[in-house]
Amino acid sequence: MRHRICALLAVVSSAAILAACSRVAPIITSVNDAETARMGVMTGTTGETIAMTRFPKADLKHFDDIVDAIGALKAGQLDAVLTGYPAALQSTKRNRDLTLVQENLSTENTSIGIRKGNTELLTQVDRILSGLKADGTLADMSRRWLKADLSPYEEVDIRLPSAGTPLRVGVSATREPFNFVDAAGRITGHDAELSRRIGEKLGRPVEFQNMKFTALIPALQTGKIDIIITGMSATPERAKKIDFTQRYYELHQVLLVRSAVAVEASETSFGAKLVESFEINILKEHRYLLLFEGLKNTILISIFSAVLGTLLGALVCFLRMSRTALLRTPANVFIDVLRGTPVLVLLMLIFYVVFASVDVSPVAVSVVAFGLNFAAYSAEIFRSGIEGVDKGQTEAGISMGFTRTQTFLNIVLPQMIQRVLPVYKGEFISLVKMTSVVGYIAVHDLTKASDIIRSRTFDAFFPLVMVAVLYFMVSWLFIRLLSLIELKTDPKRRRQGRIAS
Amino acid sequence: MITVDNLNKRFGDLHVLRDVSTQINKGDVVSIIGPSGCGKSTFLRCLNLLEQPDSGTILVNGQDITAPGANIASIRQKMNMVFQSFNLFSHLTVLENLTVGPIKLKGIAPTVAHEKASELLRLVGLGDKGHHFPDELSGGQKQRVAIARCLAMEPEVILFDEPTSALDPTMVREVLSVIRRLAKDGMTMLIVTHEMDFARDVSNRVFYMDSGGIHEDGTPEQIFLNPQRERTRAFINRTRSLSFTIVDRNFDFYGMNAEIEGFCERQILSKRFRQNLLLLVEELVLVHQPLLTHGPLTLRIEHAERSNQLEVICEQSGLDLDPLVGDHLPDEFGVMIIRSLVQSIDHRHESGQSRLTLVVRSMAPPENGSCTVVNCY
Repeated sequence: MRHRICALLAVVSSAAILAACSRVAPIITSVNDAETARMGVMTGTTGETIAMTRFPKADLKHFDDIVDAIGALKAGQLDAVLTGYPAALQSTKRNRDLTLVQENLSTENTSIGIRKGNTELLTQVDRILSGLKADGTLADMSRRWLKADLSPYEEVDIRLPSAGTPLRVGVSATREPFNFVDAAGRITGHDAELSRRIGEKLGRPVEFQNMKFTALIPALQTGKIDIIITGMSATPERAKKIDFTQRYYELHQVLLVRSAVAVEASETSFGAKLVESFEINILKEHRYLLLFEGLKNTILISIFSAVLGTLLGALVCFLRMSRTALLRTPANVFIDVLRGTPVLVLLMLIFYVVFASVDVSPVAVSVVAFGLNFAAYSAEIFRSGIEGVDKGQTEAGISMGFTRTQTFLNIVLPQMIQRVLPVYKGEFISLVKMTSVVGYIAVHDLTKASDIIRSRTFDAFFPLVMVAVLYFMVSWLFIRLLSLIELKTDPKRRRQGRIAS
Repeated sequence: MITVDNLNKRFGDLHVLRDVSTQINKGDVVSIIGPSGCGKSTFLRCLNLLEQPDSGTILVNGQDITAPGANIASIRQKMNMVFQSFNLFSHLTVLENLTVGPIKLKGIAPTVAHEKASELLRLVGLGDKGHHFPDELSGGQKQRVAIARCLAMEPEVILFDEPTSALDPTMVREVLSVIRRLAKDGMTMLIVTHEMDFARDVSNRVFYMDSGGIHEDGTPEQIFLNPQRERTRAFINRTRSLSFTIVDRNFDFYGMNAEIEGFCERQILSKRFRQNLLLLVEELVLVHQPLLTHGPLTLRIEHAERSNQLEVICEQSGLDLDPLVGDHLPDEFGVMIIRSLVQSIDHRHESGQSRLTLVVRSMAPPENGSCTVVNCY
């Protein structure tokens, strides 16, 4: 039976792949060729708006990150990507099979975003920008950061005060050359330098908060950050929500397409390519450090959420099984609500609404969000485990003279643990994998690490596969660990050990 | 030792125990018998408050355990229970099942508890099973472990809730012998059971419970050989009955016959028995027909499973004569046939009521020529 299903799947998937391949990809050499193209745009950017008005017949696909869009373009799922010139240029430098359509689709002002009402900071920053323009610093920065070739960036050292209220700068560090993460794991780039210069002039240390581009404005509005400096265009729509300073860079939107000239078939073998990918994605600029950091956060969040969720789940389960409706109802509502809402939404709600005005570590917020979510599931697992223990066991315990609590601890609990561990194990593993969304609130986890690497190398494949492997290894380790506990608590195993000893 | 006073227990609308009062003395071995659903198990479970009674008091050694604040957990240590479904702790070995209570509740040192437990296991014949898990034992072995687990707590009273009902017939004996031995050693026990012979020879008192109360309380001899009350007798003899009331000639005779046949099938009566019964009833109805003017006739068929005795009882109020003797009989044949089908006939008058009791033969009628007559009918 299983073989037949596998065979069927294989047939269906190969048919799908063939169908995808058979589509003749249009070759785009001018903007007009792209009228009906499959076009990638970045959610919430001006590129998205332009694409909708300029290419009404195009098949628009919305991405959160330029790297994902480039991956799709390279894989042939898109015909063009509409994006800002610097990012497009950067991509062509790293991907020889991509090229730019040399026509500007729009001209926009790249400005610094500041919370509405914070006029003091707005005027200060405006004055600083004017100064930087006047003394030629901005022009010099453009020369050093916005290069047309792959020559190394030239970074200047800026001394920042170590004391004082930090200027919390919201960035999306997958926007090379405006913002990206360098070999040392530092946020750098044109806009990072600009941020440091502003910090220097303000006499405040700079603290970068790296988050998804779409999360920046909510974070600014709720006071999680003070300022957005990350190559953001001052669109009228955004200007309704936040204030913008004067322009510090003039941005053109362009089309990024696959190169019409076939890239000469690479002579290198698959193995050599793999080594090269490994070199670029892992070794270069010590990128494995990013992965370690991500791995550490993923594991930390997973373990602490599981501990919090298990304890909270036990409490909720206790309330849920209570005889008084006063205790039972809140537990029921808790379980229903948390199981009925996506954990990502919960995560963002907690970060942007619950802890809006509190300065709290995003890792802690992640632990709380995933802990709450895990609690709802584990509560139900525990309940089914407890209810699965025969009522007679409790009666026997009670009639022997144990109190209800003693009976639960000595008789029901050990049997319940044995019963729920297999399900609990599965739930824990899915928790580990679910934590991959914490990048939304600026936590540097494993997925985020791969995003950062991909934003530098523009290699969609290798970092993803590697992260998949890492997730698998983490999950596998946890499964082994929990299985060990399962064996330890198995009464029959215990007896064998005892007889042997 | 245990005094129960006006105990009441309801499950919703169902009034399971009605004003139950009794006294149990030290050393009593009480068997509690009665039809299913009569409240035997509920009574037992109320005694150690596994079921909370609605009203009434239970005094154990003079202490009211139903009073608020009573330390029921410590009283239960002295009044342990053996369940129909064994309820051995499935995550513990047999030995641990026996030691968990003494160690955790009585603070006995593990080594001492283990020694005691091994001794108890030998007592119930399972000395070599200490390291097994409950699911590796047969039903009978499990129940013996459950009894040993009870004993490990050194209780003063053991409550047995149908200890053999979940067992194969082959395993019942091993469990009963263990209980017999405890009885011999003077343990106070209350045993809800369906094993009549066991109840008869192990106990010094028997409660017959019916419709929510202790219907009859007596020695085994009294309850089993000479029950004082009608329901007890019916239960002991395992009597099943069927009755009809005939008012006039328009009675549905065929409907009655069909019901009687159904009754015979349920009671697994032999073919001969059934033929004799049907014929007898037909004749009795014919004999009684002219007498219906005196009042309605109640015809009851009773079958005692234990003795396999089948009786037909005809009751008619307002009749002061023996229906089988007298001028109203059209001929002698009817009475002749009736006499050939029964073992005995008894007629008596009680408070203006005529009562005719006939015990049906299970054999073919004696060869005195009536066979031809039988065939005519």
